[in-house]
Amino acid sequence: MAGLHRTRLLALALGTALASLAAAPTFAQTKTVISGGFDVGPGGFQGNFNPMSASAGFTWLSTYYEPLIVYDAKLEKIAPALATSWQVSPDKLTYTFKLAADAKWHDGKPFTSADVKFTLGLAKDAKSGSVFGARLNAVKDVETPDAQTAVIKLSAPNAGLMDTLTKLMMLPAHQLSAIPVDALAKHEWWSKTPVGTGPFKWVKYETDQYVELAANADYRGGKPKVDGLVNRYFKTTATAAAALKSGEIQVSYVEADDAKTFAGNNAFRVVEGDSYVVNYLGFNGDAPLWKDERVRKAVLYAIDRNAIIASLFGGAAKPANCGYVADHLVPSGIEPYAYSPDKAKALLKEAGWDQINGAKPITLLSYYTAPQQVNIMAAMQAMLAQVGINIVPKAVDVATYNGTVYAATPDWTQYPVVYAGIQIGPDPSGINVAINEKQIPPAGGNVARVRDAGVTSALDAALAETDDNKLASRYQDVCKAMNKSVPWGTMWVAKRYGVVSTKAKDLVWLPAPAGGPYDQKAQNWSVTP
Amino acid sequence: MGLYILRRIGMGCVMLVALSMLVFALLRLAPGDPVDAYIDPSAPMSPAELAATRARLGLDQPIPVQYLAWMKQVLAGDLGYSLQRNHEPVARLIAERVGPTLLLMGSGLLVAIVIGVSAGILAGVNRGRVIDVGLSLPAFVGISSPAFLTALVGLFVFSVNLGWAPSGGMRTPGLAPTTGDLLRHLALPALLLSIGHAALIMRYMRASLIEVLNQDYVRTARSKGVRERWVIVKHAVRNALLPVVTLIGSTLGAAVGGAIFIESVFNWPGMGLMLINAVENRDYPVIMASTLVVGACVLAANILTDLAYAVVDPRIKIA
Repeated sequence: MAGLHRTRLLALALGTALASLAAAPTFAQTKTVISGGFDVGPGGFQGNFNPMSASAGFTWLSTYYEPLIVYDAKLEKIAPALATSWQVSPDKLTYTFKLAADAKWHDGKPFTSADVKFTLGLAKDAKSGSVFGARLNAVKDVETPDAQTAVIKLSAPNAGLMDTLTKLMMLPAHQLSAIPVDALAKHEWWSKTPVGTGPFKWVKYETDQYVELAANADYRGGKPKVDGLVNRYFKTTATAAAALKSGEIQVSYVEADDAKTFAGNNAFRVVEGDSYVVNYLGFNGDAPLWKDERVRKAVLYAIDRNAIIASLFGGAAKPANCGYVADHLVPSGIEPYAYSPDKAKALLKEAGWDQINGAKPITLLSYYTAPQQVNIMAAMQAMLAQVGINIVPKAVDVATYNGTVYAATPDWTQYPVVYAGIQIGPDPSGINVAINEKQIPPAGGNVARVRDAGVTSALDAALAETDDNKLASRYQDVCKAMNKSVPWGTMWVAKRYGVVSTKAKDLVWLPAPAGGPYDQKAQNWSVTP
Repeated sequence: MGLYILRRIGMGCVMLVALSMLVFALLRLAPGDPVDAYIDPSAPMSPAELAATRARLGLDQPIPVQYLAWMKQVLAGDLGYSLQRNHEPVARLIAERVGPTLLLMGSGLLVAIVIGVSAGILAGVNRGRVIDVGLSLPAFVGISSPAFLTALVGLFVFSVNLGWAPSGGMRTPGLAPTTGDLLRHLALPALLLSIGHAALIMRYMRASLIEVLNQDYVRTARSKGVRERWVIVKHAVRNALLPVVTLIGSTLGAAVGGAIFIESVFNWPGMGLMLINAVENRDYPVIMASTLVVGACVLAANILTDLAYAVVDPRIKIA
């Protein structure tokens, strides 16, 4: 009898355990949730919740925060977000934004122009840990004539201001003004109780696992169609691709090789887009090796970019003959630097390369450590060796790279040439920070210490241009100057990929640089079981 | 016995100090500057700011002075603050992650012991037969497969293709934590972590059992008419377990290494994943404290293994 009783108890325990295992997925389906690897890949920024220190991750951040303005879903035009309309004065010194009257913070308080003033003030203050300070230098003042009007006054025209504003998420003054500015950057508010105005609101962050958001029923654009969003964290893009295939997530960035495995599968939609990042060899301006323009040009002639694009990018990249590849920014008649080792050798001979450096090794420093990029550097090494330039790739982590190139007293022998990338779109002014002579560290990010008067004056003219119709022509001048003197050996602009499950409806996802933001209309996203 | 344990703990502490000195020196001597972790490429620091940061962190002091300052802090119970995780106390971060890692490693080792010992007995008893060859072949594959490969292949087969287990994480987002959900997420990584160890244990158990089965006392037991099953269970297996216990103790360090790979592939929120993230971000306080805690766990496990000898083999006297 006792034995029978024990057997029944054991069976009951086993049955309960099995039932709980089986019940888990059923319970999970009671809520409609879209899960994604929203912060996977170069456009993501896993573990960062502070939009003011965000250099990427805007796809996810803009599901619960919102900027004043945002790029449209083609990354071509500026579209309304918290600002419903705007006017720019003819001298480009005054930007007047009309704010959405029905916009509310997730805690129910109204969003007003005071929040705009507060956010811009924080973003300009280096003590807040903001990465926007240098880009907002021209902002002189923010006036708030009424609750729904914010007027940004500039001290000088800044062609990149609207682009910067697309990335500047508005923050609630009533929540954050009590926190000391210098304590804000690392404050737990960002990952515990953040408050935004977006279609979804914060639920929780499960450390290193996922972030969960719930639908904001009071969103001015309408209640979201799903109950929540989940941003799953992945250590590698391969595991994110595995989660996509197993149906656990509905969207993620994927590597080009992984994208091929989804092609032709009706359960998924592969999204291809421009990276808007130009890869380049940054010749260190302090290094005597590259002083002669002919040497720099020889490097370009010696590298068969089309072969690298065909074999290592699978054709998914476009060669760059200056900082830009967009048709409207590249003037006709520039030098294509088509592969010609003979021309490279002739130029090196003319320049006296044997006396300048000869076969001595030259470190090629890079923060690219992914296998594809390492292979690319190896290919460049082999091609340059053919003409007598002995580069030695050295791929390091980002911190080491930054420490080397941003050193207070930089040693050019540590990085005579870098292989790096810089965002060149949708707004072409992004390149300024990395190549303008006035942006040499600590002022900016011109880590290669390029001192090219032609490029600098062309960029200054483009940034100060007040006539929108002349802007493209100004950037063509930048392209022409770069192509002529070759301060960088510009290589290519690659494609990027993402995959969206066909179960997810109206989900707008782009492999945008830094994750956008763009007008993703997250409130319209839905998912079928 | 008590003295022995105290002596082992004392030796363990000395080894921990040596380990911490080694890791500290390696981190400081590695290429690059620790202050690099504080530099934001979008907001470069001025030389004055860099110098101030270096002084604030004590990085302007000689390495031995830096180490002593760190050790003094640790002895006072302060493991420091994470550089990358909003300055959270490292002790809190570790406390959150020790549990998941112990759960994964413990489950993996338990599965490995059960499978390895059982398969080893089966193979040993059936030496040279089909069952022996059938078990030895996968064991060789298991021993030869590195943890990261096993993890990726397992993920692809069991999660992507068969859909039997979640592809990662420790619980389903949006669900209230339940034991069932935890077990669903634990099963695959624990099983994959166990493969290499199970294979090794199986080979040791098989070899040890074969040796024991040829001993005189086993022959005597058989000649006295003791049933074969009883001979194996009572006389052979218990004695054959001794080298296996040694093996289990010595593979704990490898299990930690394996858990680091498994945790990063399955995004299991344990010490391994935190350590990898800390190394990538040069989060020195987290790297140092994690190494110390993992080292302490391995040393403690080794001491426990020594004590387990006495339980398995009464002939061994610990003093």
